[in-house]
Amino acid sequence: MKSYILKRDPGDPVPPKFSLDYDAELNPGQLAAACALEGPVLVIAGAGSGKTRTLVYRVARLIESGIPPESILLLTFTRKAAQEMIQRVGLLIGGRSESVTGGTFHSVANMLLRRYGRAIGLEPGFTILDRGDSEDVINLLRTQHGLHDKARHFPRKNTLNEIFSKAANKLLPVEDVVLQEFPQFEEEIEDLQQLQRAFDAYKRQRLLVDYDDLLSRLRELLASDEHVRRRISNWFAGWRLRMTM
Amino acid sequence: MAFTHDNVMAVGDDAQSVYAFRGATFRNIMDFPKLFPGTQLFKLEENYRSTQPILTLANEVISLAAEKYPKKLFTRKQHGPTPVLAKGVDENAQSRFVAQRIMELREEGVPLSEIAVLFRSSFHSFDLEIELARRNVPFVKRGGFKFIETAHVKDMIAHLRVIQNPRDAVSWNRLLTLVEGVGPKKSQNLIGAIFREGSNGLDVLKAAATGTGVSAQGLKELACVLEDVGGGDTMTPAEQVTTVYGYYLPILRRQYDDHPKRVKDLEHLATIAERYGRLESFLADLTLEPPNESVVDVEAPDRDEERLILSTIHSAKGLEWHSVFIIWTLDGKFPSLYSFTAEEDLEEERRLFYVAITRAKENLYLTYPVNVYDRASGMILSKPTRFLDEVRYDCLDTWALTEQDGLRD
Repeated sequence: MKSYILKRDPGDPVPPKFSLDYDAELNPGQLAAACALEGPVLVIAGAGSGKTRTLVYRVARLIESGIPPESILLLTFTRKAAQEMIQRVGLLIGGRSESVTGGTFHSVANMLLRRYGRAIGLEPGFTILDRGDSEDVINLLRTQHGLHDKARHFPRKNTLNEIFSKAANKLLPVEDVVLQEFPQFEEEIEDLQQLQRAFDAYKRQRLLVDYDDLLSRLRELLASDEHVRRRISNWFAGWRLRMTM
Repeated sequence: MAFTHDNVMAVGDDAQSVYAFRGATFRNIMDFPKLFPGTQLFKLEENYRSTQPILTLANEVISLAAEKYPKKLFTRKQHGPTPVLAKGVDENAQSRFVAQRIMELREEGVPLSEIAVLFRSSFHSFDLEIELARRNVPFVKRGGFKFIETAHVKDMIAHLRVIQNPRDAVSWNRLLTLVEGVGPKKSQNLIGAIFREGSNGLDVLKAAATGTGVSAQGLKELACVLEDVGGGDTMTPAEQVTTVYGYYLPILRRQYDDHPKRVKDLEHLATIAERYGRLESFLADLTLEPPNESVVDVEAPDRDEERLILSTIHSAKGLEWHSVFIIWTLDGKFPSLYSFTAEEDLEEERRLFYVAITRAKENLYLTYPVNVYDRASGMILSKPTRFLDEVRYDCLDTWALTEQDGLRD
C-alpha cells in the first residue's frame, strides 16, 4: 500500500510533545494536579504525599505545554525551596526552567515594588531594614519621645518591634495586639500607638522599608492602582503558580 | 495579581496549619474556593512516609477537627508496629523510658539521627536533657534554647553556685550586675573585696549595703537571701531554689519583657530540684559537660556525627524520622490549659498533634506522666491528651511503665 503524507499547515500550533512520562511518574491525584492547566486550583496535600514532586512536575508540564517560563511565578516560604524546585525542573526538561520567576513572598514583593512602587510614592531606591535595623530605629525614636525612662516598664526595642510587626502582619491595631499578647503593657497603649505612628512616618520620610512593609506596601499598590495591577497580572498571565508549605 | 486570568494554584495542608502565633491563618486555605469561584480541588492522600498503623492514628485524630477538607491518608506500607501510648508515674519515669527505649532502638540498628523526641514547648524537654546527658546520649536540640543556656535559668543558678563555691567570680558578676545600681565596675570592686576576705561574701555585701547609693537596698536584699539560703545544711535544694526564686522574681520582671513565659522555666527548675537531697549533686547534674562522645565512638566509629534530635513540633514540620517520641501528651500540657477556653486555639493544638504524629516512618511512642501538679492553675493533671479520647481503641498499644525494683502487683 502506498502511504500519502498529509502536510501540516505551518500556521497550525504544534501539539505539545511531552518528554516526560507523567502517567508513570505521578499517582492519580498528583497527575490531576499537575495537569489541570486552567483556572484556579487548590491542592490539599497531606503529610508526606509528595507535594514538592507534584509542583516540580506541574512546572515542567506547563513549560512543555508551551507556556513561556517567564510568565510562571513560583512563590514559596524559603528561597531554598524555590531554587531547589526550579533546579529539579531543569534536571527534568533542561535549561528553559531558569526563566521561571521564583522566590519568597518578600523577595517577589521587593522586585515588584522596585518596578512599580512609584505609583504609591515609593521611589525604587528604597532601603530594606532587617530586624536589627528596625530595632535600632525604634530605639532612637523611643529616646526622642522620652519613653526610655528606666523606672518605667516600657517595652524594650525587640518587644516593640515584635508588637508593631504583629500588628502589621495581622492587620490589627496595636491596641488589639497588646491586649491579646502583651497584657502587661496595657497601660502603655497610647504611647505605643504614638510610637508606631512615628516609626511609620520616619520610614516613609527616609525611604526605608522593613520586612512587613514589603508585604503591606505591595498590598497597597495592588489595591490602589488598577493600571499597575493589570500589568502585573498580564505579566504572569501564562500561569501563576503559588505554593505554600 | 491574577485578576485578569485567575490562573492561580495553591498547595498546602489545612491539617498542618500551625503558625497562627506568627500571624498565619487557617482561613487562607479554607476560604480559597470562595475567593476564587470555580476552583478545582485535588487531594493528595497517598503517603510515602509512614506505615498504615501510624496513618490510621493520624486519620482518627484529625477526623474530629471542627473544620477541614476531609481526607484519609493511606500507604502501600501496610504493616508496622502499632503506635504506643506509655504512662509514667512522673516526669522522670517518662524521661527514663524515652532514654532507655532510644538505647534499645540504637542496639537494634536505628541510627540516633533517625530518632526524634518531639514536644509542644521547648521547656518540656529539660528533664529529658538531663537524663540523656547522664547516660551519654548525644543530642541536638532544635527550636528554643537549651534549658541551662537560658539567661534567666543562668541567673537563678548563679545564686546557688556562689553558695556552693564563693570563689565563682563568673557567677558573682552575673548576680551582682542584676542588682539595681550595680554596674560592671562596682561588681568588680565587690568581687575583689570578697576574694581578699576569702569569705562567703556576706560581710562585703552588708558593708556595701550601708552606703546611701542606689544599690544599697538591692545589696541588702541580696545579702539577706544568700544568708538564708546558705545557712548550713538546713534547706533542701528545692527550698533553696524557691527562696532564691522569691528574691529573683522582681528582677526577672524588670529585666525581661516576656517574663510570664520565663517564669515557667523557673517553676520547672524547682520541680527538678525536688529530686535532689544535696545542692552539690543538683548543680553538678544541671551543668554537666557536653556529653562525652567516646562511648559512641567505640561502639560505632563510622557514626561519630550521630545525634539524637530533640525538637519542638513547630521546628519539626516538614521533617521525618524512623522513630518518633512525643512526650508530655498529657491533657493540660498538650493541649495546654491556656487553650481550653478558645475553640480555635484547641483546634490549632489538634493540628499540631497531627503534625507530630505524621513525622514518624516506623515507630511512634506517645508518653505522658501522671499526678503532675500545675502551679499556675493549681490543678493535678493525670489524663492523656483529649485528642486521643475518641480514637479507636485498637489504634494504640497502651503501656504502663513500672520500676524494676519497685512495688509491683
